[in-house]
Amino acid sequence: MPGKIKAMIEAIVAERSQGSITLISTTRTKLLLKGINISSFTDTSPDDPAVITKLKEIAKELGVTSV
Amino acid sequence: MKIKSAYSTQQTVRDAVEDLRQQLAATQPSMILYFASSKFAPEPLSEAMQGAFAGATVFGCTTAGEIAAGKMLKNSIVAMAFTRAAVKNLTLALVEQVNVKTGLKERIGQALDSLAKNSGVPVAALDPHRFVGMILIDGLSLAEENVMECIGDLTNVTFIGGSAGDDLKFSSTHVFANGKAYTNAALLVMLEPAVPFGFIKTQSFKSLGKKLLATEVNEAARTVLQFNGKPAASAYAEAVGVPVATASERFMKNPIGLMLDDEPYVRSPQRIDDSKMVFYCNIKKGMELSVLESTDIINDTRAVVEAKKKEMGGISGIINFHCILRTLDLESHGLLDAYGRLFADIPTVGFSTYGEEYIGHINQTATMLVLGE
Repeated sequence: MPGKIKAMIEAIVAERSQGSITLISTTRTKLLLKGINISSFTDTSPDDPAVITKLKEIAKELGVTSV
Repeated sequence: MKIKSAYSTQQTVRDAVEDLRQQLAATQPSMILYFASSKFAPEPLSEAMQGAFAGATVFGCTTAGEIAAGKMLKNSIVAMAFTRAAVKNLTLALVEQVNVKTGLKERIGQALDSLAKNSGVPVAALDPHRFVGMILIDGLSLAEENVMECIGDLTNVTFIGGSAGDDLKFSSTHVFANGKAYTNAALLVMLEPAVPFGFIKTQSFKSLGKKLLATEVNEAARTVLQFNGKPAASAYAEAVGVPVATASERFMKNPIGLMLDDEPYVRSPQRIDDSKMVFYCNIKKGMELSVLESTDIINDTRAVVEAKKKEMGGISGIINFHCILRTLDLESHGLLDAYGRLFADIPTVGFSTYGEEYIGHINQTATMLVLGE
């Protein structure tokens, strides 16, 4: 199902930021610096298994449990 | 006065520290932050600074140039005194052996836990609108990315700071705390300001819209072997439109950066090594970077400081972590005095760094902690 990567990114940002605008920006920056080019993923992006695996690892590092 | 900055160009530890003590002691500071040229012997300096301000928490690091209100200095010591009306509470923790990756996250976690202890909540739950973190780290450790990533994993508090310098000798840098000097270490500070606070991150670059995808890297060595499937140096040279032989001449004007909503997070090339490119910051495999082009540091900095002043309704102090590459660029264009004058009316302290910290590790940037009134 295309778009899974964008959904995972949004879930990580949502759980870590708890709705804080400041933390949304900070968390997006953290993802960028961890190597996720977050702007390039859309609802129709293919589900690249390597990126999905990387996002699962990042979620674990950030203490995010919903991904 | 909540915050006061001072500098000394006295040439011995004893004279410089006494000069600073005379300028700052009357404010009865609870915290002294200082940045010192590496010309001063680190251990005696740290011991003397702690002794001169015995009632305060005293910390700092070595530099590649110092910044005071209205001044860009060399071979000096700059210091900022904070009263409890500026910073209510602060705690320090030291992480040593930062270049040892094994157990680093656990050690940073322990340090952060100790910083949060007095607040009564775990570090993961600390309010980033109430607390701000500062980091001063050995600028030759190659550990900044790992340390900042660990911190970012464990807390939502924003950490800002700089990599210590040694006046471009690239021999040894130090952080100062507890009257001692440490190398291969990171000093983490948790501040609870009594005044509003904010951040400035300014880098004076625009994207040229040309992309370089890191397809083969040696992340630990901050080296890119290939961009876009080609030898890194060739791909970079092609992107900036020059032969490989002269590509290094474009490093200052055309670094590369990760882009987020038009905001670059700069990665500065250091040198070409055969066909590889070595950077001042790591680049991970799969990262997509944009080729950047420099804009006007003086005008850009003036604009962001004025905007922050308006947003915060006034500024009582700025701590400026300013990339040495920006300092060298300004110096080569005869603009150091003009840059210093941008901060003439604001208590300011800062230094020319070997890397800037703000959420992560970045290059060719000025990161500033701004304290309101």
